[in-house]
Amino acid sequence: MKQASHGRIVVNAVLIILSILWIFPAVFAVFGTLKKKQEYNLSNFWDLPHGISLAENLKGIAGTFGIVKGMLNSLLYATVSAGAAVIIATLAAYAISHLKIKRPMVWFLFIYSGTIFPFQIFLIPVYKGLTATNLYDTQLGMILFYTAICVPFCMFVLRNYYLGISKEICESAKIDGCNSFQILGHIFVPMSTAPLAVVFLTQFNWVWNELMFGLTFTKSREIRPVMAAITLMDKANVPVILLACVAASIPTLLLFFLLNKHFEAGHAYQSK
Amino acid sequence: MKKINFAWTNYLYLLPAVLLVAVFFVTSIVYTIRLSFYEYDGFSTMRFVGLENYLYLFRDANFKISLMNTVIWVVFSLLFTLALPLLLAILITNSSWVGGFKNIFYYPTALSSTIGGIIMVAILSKYGIPQLFGLLGFESLVRDWLAIPYVNTFIMILMGTWQGVGLNTILFITGLATIPDSPIEAAKIEGARTIQLYNKVILPLLKPTTVVVLLMSLVNSFKVFDSIWVMTKGGPYRTSETLALTMYQESFIHGKFGVGAAVAVVLTVIILIVSYFNIRNTFGDTDQTA
Repeated sequence: MKQASHGRIVVNAVLIILSILWIFPAVFAVFGTLKKKQEYNLSNFWDLPHGISLAENLKGIAGTFGIVKGMLNSLLYATVSAGAAVIIATLAAYAISHLKIKRPMVWFLFIYSGTIFPFQIFLIPVYKGLTATNLYDTQLGMILFYTAICVPFCMFVLRNYYLGISKEICESAKIDGCNSFQILGHIFVPMSTAPLAVVFLTQFNWVWNELMFGLTFTKSREIRPVMAAITLMDKANVPVILLACVAASIPTLLLFFLLNKHFEAGHAYQSK
Repeated sequence: MKKINFAWTNYLYLLPAVLLVAVFFVTSIVYTIRLSFYEYDGFSTMRFVGLENYLYLFRDANFKISLMNTVIWVVFSLLFTLALPLLLAILITNSSWVGGFKNIFYYPTALSSTIGGIIMVAILSKYGIPQLFGLLGFESLVRDWLAIPYVNTFIMILMGTWQGVGLNTILFITGLATIPDSPIEAAKIEGARTIQLYNKVILPLLKPTTVVVLLMSLVNSFKVFDSIWVMTKGGPYRTSETLALTMYQESFIHGKFGVGAAVAVVLTVIILIVSYFNIRNTFGDTDQTA
């Protein structure tokens, strides 16, 4: 018994040391946001901030770099695209798992293939396509593309879930006079609120954090999502950059801490 | 009744998803493959050059460095994001504060890799950690570490580890929780020591999770873009590029879209090979459980 408690002390000690390493970047970032530019560049990084320059730095991110606008854009793209993708994926997953269609496995693999390819293969053609249709550097173009890229994963998770719902429930609903759309609305959607929430959250998170497409498919401050906007900030003023980073992390961190359980469920789906 | 089942309207449910995938992804893949056989600067007309873009890559010193860096990324990030999470999962499961430690190691995963990268840039610049080494008398270490060729790749891999460990740790913790008690009890009764217990009983039972984490990490390490882009942009002198970066550089920075497309095709072929095992594993699993 004594052996075991010694073991536990060692385990806790190792974890505490590693935890400090893991937390350090966040502490560094938060302290950095409180310093003035000159103070940051002249003092040592472990010095505590002299006065709190948060208000001044806040003005910095609200200004020319479009971080606030970027956050609003990202909020729009993440909410609308993740929402639309969940709806579109629900319809497809339902058809593939429960409706009579020819070759459901082929349809499934066709849509699922969207998750397999590296993003680099989509980059040039979508850029060209958006330019050709005047959707380059527009909110609609960004929403359409993000929706498309979220659909395959949502469909994959929801189809797996719907395969577990028994056909008998649908049969009895049909006898009661439901058409296939009513069955989806009255039976499948209410039964799958948890996986629907999970896929919405993971996709919201993904769109919010996405950089490469946001950088390539936009050029103006009015359209640019927040991650792309942050990478284009003035590199000299580190405290303001750090403040932008902290501000842009708040939504995803909040989602994570408030909906911890959902995220863990999300990983379970990801690994299956 | 049956007639309604076979109605063509059933296909309407598929239509939006299939349309989006067809328009955005299928045509894109075809276009990129085709473009890889052309010379194209983004403005003038495309000129067919056959395999010239691929031969160019084969001869290009930057591409060789990029390929090498990609291999380094894959090997080391695999090592770190497999071994460390496994160790962490075992430690956390046996600790007195499971939920807390889980969150501490997970939070960087909830951050975007862009933001993780930018914070690391600040920490590793000469205003950050290198100052500490100056204080200890190593003046030569007081410089921007991310600007040192080849060293920066390993530093970025460590940063990726910081960010990626949490997810895999949670997967391993979930995996550990599903291991039944009886074989562990049996081994304990037969007098197995802790190390034997892990080697002979727990790790073999954890194999399905390990395979999932391995394949997922493998695919992800080929795809790393954001963090390298914000930390070094592939520099200095393109020495820290990986294939994902080279594709972007050639196309959107140097205006060689044909070459960029060829890099994208190479990367895709590699990822498809890995994904083949991933998918086989995924659907193999579903078959077993079904």
